Order: sequence, then C-alpha cells, then structure tokens
Amino acid sequence: MSFDRSKLDVTAVYSRWTTLEHDWQSVVVGAVVVAVAGAVRIPW
Amino acid sequence: MAPTRFLPGLAVLCLGAVFARAIELTVGFNHLLVAIALGFVLANGVGVPDRLEPGLATHKLWLGAGIVLMGASLTLETVLEVGGLVLLVVVCVTSFTILVVELLARNVFGLADRLGSLLAAGAGICGVSAVVAVAGAIRAREDHIAYAAATVLLFDAITIVVYPVVGDLLNLSGIVFGVWAGVSMFSTGPVVAVGFAHSEVAGQWATMTKLSRNALIGAVVLAYASYYARSGGGGRPSVRTLWDEFPKFVLGFLALMLLASAGVFSASQLASIENAYSWLFVLAFVGLGTEIRLAELRSTGLMPAVVVLVSLLVASALSLALLTLLL
Repeated sequence: MSFDRSKLDVTAVYSRWTTLEHDWQSVVVGAVVVAVAGAVRIPW
Repeated sequence: MAPTRFLPGLAVLCLGAVFARAIELTVGFNHLLVAIALGFVLANGVGVPDRLEPGLATHKLWLGAGIVLMGASLTLETVLEVGGLVLLVVVCVTSFTILVVELLARNVFGLADRLGSLLAAGAGICGVSAVVAVAGAIRAREDHIAYAAATVLLFDAITIVVYPVVGDLLNLSGIVFGVWAGVSMFSTGPVVAVGFAHSEVAGQWATMTKLSRNALIGAVVLAYASYYARSGGGGRPSVRTLWDEFPKFVLGFLALMLLASAGVFSASQLASIENAYSWLFVLAFVGLGTEIRLAELRSTGLMPAVVVLVSLLVASALSLALLTLLL
C-alpha cells in the first residue's frame, strides 16, 4: 500500500515537472543544488 | 513516458564528465573542451543509439541550471562596475549584426527575406533558439529554418575552436575575452565553454554578456513579427511575446546573485555551489558535443554561410577593437 502511495507521489511530481517550461526546470534544479550545497560539501 | 528512459543517456553524460575531468588532471587539457570533443566523437564516430537520446538531450537543462548557480559567484558590485558599459556594447553589436546580416542577405546575396531574418536572429541573438523563436513569429518555411539552424551550428563548431586560439594569440585579459565571446559568438553553450576554457573571470563575463544578449530575444521576435505582419502573412505580434521568449533562468541567476551579494551564503556553501556549476557545465558540454553532427553541417547552404561569415568577421573585429579600447 505504502509502495503504491510513493509510486503515485513520484508520478505526480514527474507529471508536474514535465509541464514546467525548460527554463523554469533549470531554475528548479539550481534551487535543489543550492539546498544540497547548504548541507553537503560538493567536491570538484 | 517513464523517467527511467533518461537514465542511459544521463549515465553517458556523467561518465563523459568524469573522464573529461580526469583528462584535465592527468594530461592538462581543458576539461570543458575535452567534454565537447568526447560528445563530438561519440556522435560522429560511434553514433548515438536511440536509447541514449532522451538523456543526452537533457544537456540544455544542466547548462541552464549551471548558469543559475553561477549567479552566486558574482556580486552586484562587480556587475554594476562595468555592467552598464557591457550592456551598451551588447545592444550596439547585436543591432549592428542583425542589420549587416539583413543587408547582406537581401541586397548583396539575394537570399529570401525570411531566410535572411532567421540568419540575422541566429547570428545577432542566441543561435538556434533565436532561429526557432523568430521562425514561429514570421511563419518561416521549414527548409529555411533547417538552413539557418545548420548555418548557426556550423559557426558554433568553428568558433569553439577559433576563439580560444585567438584569445591566447592576442593575450586577451579575462574580462575582454569573456565579453568579446559573449557579444559575438552565437549559441549560449559554446560561449560559456570557451569563456571558462580561457579563465574563471572570462567564463563569468562571457555568460553574463550572453545572458544580456539572450534577454533581447523577446524584443527582436516582437519587432520581426510586427514587420512581417505589416507586410502581410506573418503572425500577430503581442506584448506577451516579450515574456514568452524571455529566458526565465536569467531570473534564477539574478536571484542567486542578489542573495550572494546580501551575504546569505557561507564561504563553504559558495565553494560547493561553484563546484556544482562546474560539474553541471561539464555534463552539459558532453551533451553539446553530441549535437555537432557533421552530416547535418554539410547540409548548410553556401550563400547563407558566406553571409553569416562576413557578419561574424565584421562584428567580431569591431567588438574586439571596441572592448580593447573601453575595458
């Protein structure tokens, strides 16, 4: 049941993602990276 | 469509990025140019299997995200210091390029009006994206769109090789090289690549200059739509076009620049963000390399290529002279 629920959530998020304009998708990825960089050190 | 279809191509982008980075650490070649070369060899030597295409096509997403993150490494002070001057150069060179291509195409080489307009938009603003945006507004023919896009891609491939060589030969400073590449090269990806291949400062200025140029696309599309609507047969222009065509990731870039200028990020967070955009750029450039297809470049018409070559040479030489004097 919980597996089905999480699958539904992923599908809903992916569906919202695909409706975003490409430029906004880049902004979302940038925001996620900023959030990650706040918690984890990203190496080069 | 399942998101898993992106995984094979994404894996190839990641492998290429790590390999390009390893080459730089061991041999010393610039990782961004190596990344483009890897993509190019994959597409033109081995060939790209269909199952890799969706993942490889995400390279524009990574480039946009990298540009957004780059905003954090710049401060408002730096931009305001010479930003006004750069903006002036961008507007002058862009208008000049569009005018030269239109005049050459119509009056010297006798190309069709709409083909000339597509070439002018591609050379003056932001490469293939501008060609596609203007094509929609002026109802251009499919073969004209293909010609113009192929011509822009041909010069993207040439300038990726030529600009770094000229920059080294003339020993240009980071800011002059960056603004020069940003104001005179065509597509955003190659501009960012040659900028960062020269130096960090050049990469930042190349990207900012190119973003200013890209932001003009809405106005150019509107102008072309109005012109062709008046002469009959074109699409109806609307002010909404300005917003529709505006590259929205510029807003993310500006937001991060403002946050960084306000001191929101710590030094270690800024270092992490800079490392993140470096990785995103390498990923993007492996994908960009796969888009340079020799077979498609061969379909470029001779006349369109000559028109764009002449305008590129003139705009490039004039802007370099201007920037050397001003900066």
